[in-house]
Amino acid sequence: MKNIIVGQYVPGKSFLYKMDPRSKILALGILMVSAFVFKDITHIIYMLFGVLLILKIGGIPIMRIARGLRPIMILLLFTFSFQVMFIKTGDVVLETVLTLTYINLGLMVLIILGWYFTRTYIKSRFLFLIFVILGILTMLSLFTPGITISSSNFVVYEDGLLGASFIMVRLIIIVTLSTILTLTTKPTDLNLGLEKILRPLNIVKINSEEIALIISIALRYIPTLLDEANKIMLAQASRGVDFSEGKIKDKVMQIISLLVPMFIISFKRSDDLANAMEARSFIPGNPRSRIHILAWENRDTIVIIFCIVVLISTIAVRVFL
Amino acid sequence: MAIKFEQVNYLYPSFDGSNFSALENIDLEISEKGEFITLIGETGSGKSTLVQHMNALLRPATGSVTIYGIKIQKNTNKNKKIKLNPLRQKVGLVFQFPEYQLFEETVLKDIIFGPKNFGVKEDVAIERAKEVIKLVGLTEEYLERSPFNLSGGEKKRVSIAGILAMEPDILVLDEPTSGLDPKGRDALLELFTEIHKKLDKTVIIITHDMNTVYKYATRVLVMHDSELVFDGNASELFKSENIVKWNLDLPDIIEITNQLEKKLDISFNTKPHNVDELFKLMKGVL
Ligand SMILES: Nc1ncnc2c1ncn2[C@@H]1O[C@H](COP(=O)(O)OP(=O)(O)OP(=O)(O)O)[C@@H](O)[C@H]1O
Ligand SMILES: [Mg+2]
Repeated sequence: MKNIIVGQYVPGKSFLYKMDPRSKILALGILMVSAFVFKDITHIIYMLFGVLLILKIGGIPIMRIARGLRPIMILLLFTFSFQVMFIKTGDVVLETVLTLTYINLGLMVLIILGWYFTRTYIKSRFLFLIFVILGILTMLSLFTPGITISSSNFVVYEDGLLGASFIMVRLIIIVTLSTILTLTTKPTDLNLGLEKILRPLNIVKINSEEIALIISIALRYIPTLLDEANKIMLAQASRGVDFSEGKIKDKVMQIISLLVPMFIISFKRSDDLANAMEARSFIPGNPRSRIHILAWENRDTIVIIFCIVVLISTIAVRVFL
Repeated sequence: MAIKFEQVNYLYPSFDGSNFSALENIDLEISEKGEFITLIGETGSGKSTLVQHMNALLRPATGSVTIYGIKIQKNTNKNKKIKLNPLRQKVGLVFQFPEYQLFEETVLKDIIFGPKNFGVKEDVAIERAKEVIKLVGLTEEYLERSPFNLSGGEKKRVSIAGILAMEPDILVLDEPTSGLDPKGRDALLELFTEIHKKLDKTVIIITHDMNTVYKYATRVLVMHDSELVFDGNASELFKSENIVKWNLDLPDIIEITNQLEKKLDISFNTKPHNVDELFKLMKGVL
């Protein structure tokens, strides 16, 4: 639970903290577009290095971002496998026949059982899972004695592999960039920045202040709700709910015992928040003055110009290379 | 010894990578029977964190907590052979905020949730629920109500009933009387005293009310700045100079006695526990 760091502000001193939230949001937007413009794996890897450089200069430990990426590992794994399996163009990188026989089926079941019982003792479970999956695939292709149950061709194409890595890198870049934004910007600043940037939407009768407020409250409450969830789990554990084990039937009960208080508490929280805002005379849509006035400085202009240059060059690369 | 803390430290991790130390070098022993312990200390001193170690909800960062012979250390949960769940039936913990645990449609279902998790048959659990709901000062009618439509104090009582129904050997209550009216508070405290006296069970209560401490406790623990700074009986504590430093105050009866001694320029050789005792002391000097 503690790994989810999206939406969490961590105080610091680097230039990322000194920048105006508007320029940060704009820069994020521009860089994201650039990430989508690239079509080539080598280029996007250059971009990844660029992002790492930003982290380095901004003084954000890479490990912290890596921890933040952990929850989306499964998503990354899925996209990667689907890409590898379904893209069927380009050179063949690997071609093999996966044969399921009675003997290696038995072995496979054993390996899976082994994995199931040992996984709690392994430190990096995710790597362990990948290792086991790769191991099973290797076995199916190389070790095939006995009577065949079924067999199928397994072909990995170059485009599939490249495409898969490409999408993975792109996802990592996008998540990292957004994490940098929320990590280095106070929710109130983020709110103000968003509001200013969305201001043009007022022409089409969309209230930018409200949207900005909704977004920033939502971001603000992610860690709070995680904290609540943790407390609820402790409270239920002291009544004998064992979240670490249990049969499917028990699991359902466990989840209900977590979700119901979660809902109740979030409703109560939002109710309290609304009351607290009203008690301080917050009226939606009314003009409000600010304590903090955003100041756009030279470094913001420089960053934005830099980002635009990046965007233009990515377009150039896309068009001309 | 039912529960034994040895050099326990606990750190709450925070997002910026630093840690907040909520317990520092705690050494503590609690016996299974016959103690009525109150745990006091200013807000944020680590009381709730301490009691959550008593039923293995939290694991110490360093040091160990031994609960009914099972040693809990930093990486205890990695070892699946050690079952922590039974400990939570033996040491029943009522949380500070009832909102964190109520979730069923009816109060009855909520109360029998705990016992059923520990393998008690449903009909037995229902019998227990009917008993405990009366013990905590509510009527059987409440069993059919939704726990979410209750007042704060009623929720508190239901959450206490939910733990009582588990029939724990040691009962730990995190501020059980906050938010209750004076009469309800006294009734609950009498109930805990009864559990302590009749069933000879150990009861541990976190409280901010010095009168409760002075009136009921056989032993007082004081937390201050993540450390356990006092472990002894109440009379001793309230004689101590450190009361102010630990942000505690005196029970009303001692306050009154002190004032009397000062105003009348007399001194008693003992401190009274209640009005009657004070009256006797007064008669003695006058
Ligand atoms: N989940 C958490 N994450 C980080 N820090 C925490 C967490 N829970 C408590 N703390 C910190 O640990 C310290 C001790 O908290 P604890 O809840 O044990 O205090 P307490 O003595 O029970 O206070 P109170 O009388 O207000 O209930 C506090 O300073 C608190 O800020
Ligand atoms: Mg507390």
